[in-house]
Amino acid sequence: MKSKVIQVAGLVLTIAYAALIIWIYATEPRTFKEVATSAEVGSGTYQINQEKFDAGHALFLREQFRAARDEWQRADPAQGDARTQFYIAYSFYREGWGRVYYDQDLFKQGLEAANRAANLAATAQLIIDDPNLQMHTIAELKAELEQGMERSWSDVSPLKVLRARK
Amino acid sequence: MPVLHARKKMTTNNRSRNRALLHFVVLPLLFLTVTLLGGLRINADDHAFIFVAPPLVTLLLAVLLMPLFVRGRLIEIDRWVASDRSPLTNISSVWMLLTLFFASAQAFNSVLPERGLLHWLFSFFFLWTLWNNQFSLFDARRLLRSLTVLFGTAFVLKHLLLASLYSSDGGLLKKLAGALLQGVSLGTLDAPAFAPATGYISFFTLALYVAGLVLLTFASDDDVDDAVQTEQLAQRESALVDRES
Repeated sequence: MKSKVIQVAGLVLTIAYAALIIWIYATEPRTFKEVATSAEVGSGTYQINQEKFDAGHALFLREQFRAARDEWQRADPAQGDARTQFYIAYSFYREGWGRVYYDQDLFKQGLEAANRAANLAATAQLIIDDPNLQMHTIAELKAELEQGMERSWSDVSPLKVLRARK
Repeated sequence: MPVLHARKKMTTNNRSRNRALLHFVVLPLLFLTVTLLGGLRINADDHAFIFVAPPLVTLLLAVLLMPLFVRGRLIEIDRWVASDRSPLTNISSVWMLLTLFFASAQAFNSVLPERGLLHWLFSFFFLWTLWNNQFSLFDARRLLRSLTVLFGTAFVLKHLLLASLYSSDGGLLKKLAGALLQGVSLGTLDAPAFAPATGYISFFTLALYVAGLVLLTFASDDDVDDAVQTEQLAQRESALVDRES
């Protein structure tokens, strides 16, 4: 009977350990801190650093987009918070937006961040209630970024200088 | 007499429990640890972890190694997995074999250069050695010795000689190779530089793997679920003793 207990305990323990190994190889953490952060994300206890997020938001309002992104990346090192990823995507949009042309590299990175935000907020629609923004949902932001990356005849229209940044 | 009988029964019980513990808990845990550490490298620049998933060739090498384990009687497949065993025992044994397979693949991964011509050269020599071994006579002890030498040689080549060749501070071997291969491009022999900790991790991984194989010989000495049989036997014996008294 004791042998059966050992067998069951061994199976449960080693299958859990194997799952942990697969998870480590899938997420490829670079440090022990990242292991802990990934574990927090996995268990649903992950929280962003609100202080750093607010510092990033203040920089964003002052149009210091790169510094803002740096703060937000530190606030959300696991890239596991939809709201922070939305703001990162927005900062790429605002920095890449130009009256004459859009910076394609920045828009591409913005779209990647917007996609991350969309994946993270897959279950419930995320609405950012921020009066400083003109787009409040991921869908709006994604559409704007995708539109900016498309090439069309309207790109050569002189009227495009009248467009407004959102 | 009853004291002697009880002591003998206790010893048999303990032995079978320890064997079950080794077979179903310790060995899978040990092989899984080898699986975890076999692909771990430490970046030379920022000391970050790099997890290298087992390349396809290491899986092939592990496939070639498994029949050697069977032929060397390190794995007694007919005793571990059989129709007269309980489903739980069969599942546990198959699971143990799986962990051994992945540990073998990762042990190869640990001593294979990550890319370039050397990766293929090492892979070819491993394949050649294992293929030749398929036709040699083996017992468990000879197989263990052969594998220890195989992994030991590969470890020395990769983590001592090649690490010295590609070290950023330029060891003696690098200067020697530079002098010998003057004018010859080392581009095809390109290999990533890792921190010295990678060598220590690899050494620990291989030591664990070989220790696991040594323990496997103890685990395969006896029936894996004989604790149940021993208990049943003990119950029958005590019933007989009661009847006689």
